[in-house]
Amino acid sequence: MLRILTPYMLVAPLIAFIAVFTYVPIFESVNLSFRHWDFLSSDMPFVGLENYRLLLASRDFWNALTVTAIFALISVPLRLGLAVVIASYLVSETLPSRLLRGALFLPSVTSAVSIAVVFSWVFSTDYGMVNSVLTWLGFGKVAWLQDPQLALWVLIFVNTWKQLGYDIVIYIAGLQAVPQELYDAAAVDGGKRFHVFRRITIPLVMPTTYFLLVISVIEAFQVFTIVNIITHGGPAGATDMLVNLLYRVGFELFDIGRGSALAVLLFIFLIVLALIKSRVIGRRVHYEA
Amino acid sequence: MKRNNPFLTGLALATGLLFLSPVLYSIWMSFQTAHAYYAGGVEFTAGNYLRAVAEYKFARYLLNSIIVSGLVTLLGITIATMAAFAFARFQFRGGNLLFGAAVATLMIPSHISLIPNYLTLAKAGLLDSYAGLILPSVSNGFAAFFLRQYIKGIPKVLDEAAYMDGATPLQVLWRVIVPIAKPAIFSMGLYIFITEWNNYIWPLVAVGKEDFYTLQIGLARLYRINPGEGLVDWPLVMAASTLTILPVLLGFLLVERHLVRGITMGAVK
Repeated sequence: MLRILTPYMLVAPLIAFIAVFTYVPIFESVNLSFRHWDFLSSDMPFVGLENYRLLLASRDFWNALTVTAIFALISVPLRLGLAVVIASYLVSETLPSRLLRGALFLPSVTSAVSIAVVFSWVFSTDYGMVNSVLTWLGFGKVAWLQDPQLALWVLIFVNTWKQLGYDIVIYIAGLQAVPQELYDAAAVDGGKRFHVFRRITIPLVMPTTYFLLVISVIEAFQVFTIVNIITHGGPAGATDMLVNLLYRVGFELFDIGRGSALAVLLFIFLIVLALIKSRVIGRRVHYEA
Repeated sequence: MKRNNPFLTGLALATGLLFLSPVLYSIWMSFQTAHAYYAGGVEFTAGNYLRAVAEYKFARYLLNSIIVSGLVTLLGITIATMAAFAFARFQFRGGNLLFGAAVATLMIPSHISLIPNYLTLAKAGLLDSYAGLILPSVSNGFAAFFLRQYIKGIPKVLDEAAYMDGATPLQVLWRVIVPIAKPAIFSMGLYIFITEWNNYIWPLVAVGKEDFYTLQIGLARLYRINPGEGLVDWPLVMAASTLTILPVLLGFLLVERHLVRGITMGAVK
């Protein structure tokens, strides 16, 4: 009898935590998204799809969706493009390559809050590193974080700086799986470096690219910390991305119903992407085997 | 390994330093007096760190971060290892379904549970407590999945020999599996620790009292309570930021060495 129960007892803690803090909340969010609640009043009337209707009719939502989409559309190709080129240079196991890999990888394990604070200084108008360099070169100061045209670019830059090293490490793993004979053959045929890169490297790391593409889009749609600290969604909503809006509606305006509706929409979108990812990984494993 | 070229090594170092220059400069700045910094001079001081600790309770935040990340890692890795052992070694009714449920959490974006988890912990009276900071982060589907794969690779005859000697499943787990899986458990634990150390959005919603701020929250608040652009006490903020980065930085340098040692050991064998 005890032997039959053993596996259940071993998995029980994990399953209990997952149930309480991951699965039940999904149903709770859906339930709350159909209700009107400001967190303070004792009743939470059922309002059907009203929260969704209000959300989809609000300028904030479409602004956040647009800003997030622009962020993803620019930062993802930028990251992957830079990463594949740098990775193709750093693939060798030499000391310089390992040093540079370490330096580039470091930000991806560093606190996003610290990075956000440091870059708030880097791009600050009066004492910032960037403006100091610009002044030294004879240019005027730029109000990076106060200009709606520029603030989103700053966030794209910071995000790229933070995540690039991770992409490079994954690409290096992908590149190391490429058979060396292909490069040797290209060298024998006198292939030019760019030609080899385009005809051999790019096609052969395609599975890695698919994988990174999907996870970075998923990540881009969840960016929060750097937004919350560097720009707080401003100026004038120019960097108000989806999770920032979710945080504002839920925890600053205490509109639990509409916040939940937004969470549900984000959830559906990200789950679809995650399903694509798991199929991509499946294909990748198949490809390597 | 190819021969080392000093020129390339120098170039790589320079590029790496340039890339990390914002962070390195911020560490340098943290040792400057505010007066000298704004006047464009150089004047070393440990005063920013002393103020962060004395005036802004950063020692307390550091302790909180250590307690929270440490317990999340310990609890998380324990329940993940137990479950991974069960999933790898036992055939039981519903086992595949439960494993599927654990792995599926990898796809579930955490923001869906933000509001409900906040409400659950508010109802339980656990906001502003270590339990409130820790509990929602304890389960880790990825760790369970990763460790199950690893345990599956351990020869089953080892378990069977132990069972023949009259060991219980828990003894097999503790005496046979855990010692062999130690490298995987260690790297998974490290991953959980770093992730939790850097966690921001959950402590942000779960904590209001300063006594329970983690470093991330303390740093964000310190940065924000500064009156505004131009008036930020950057050297003080950078001292706090350095305190927040340092443990992970030291850990990273330490583990880099372990990683290299692991690779060379494998090559020698």
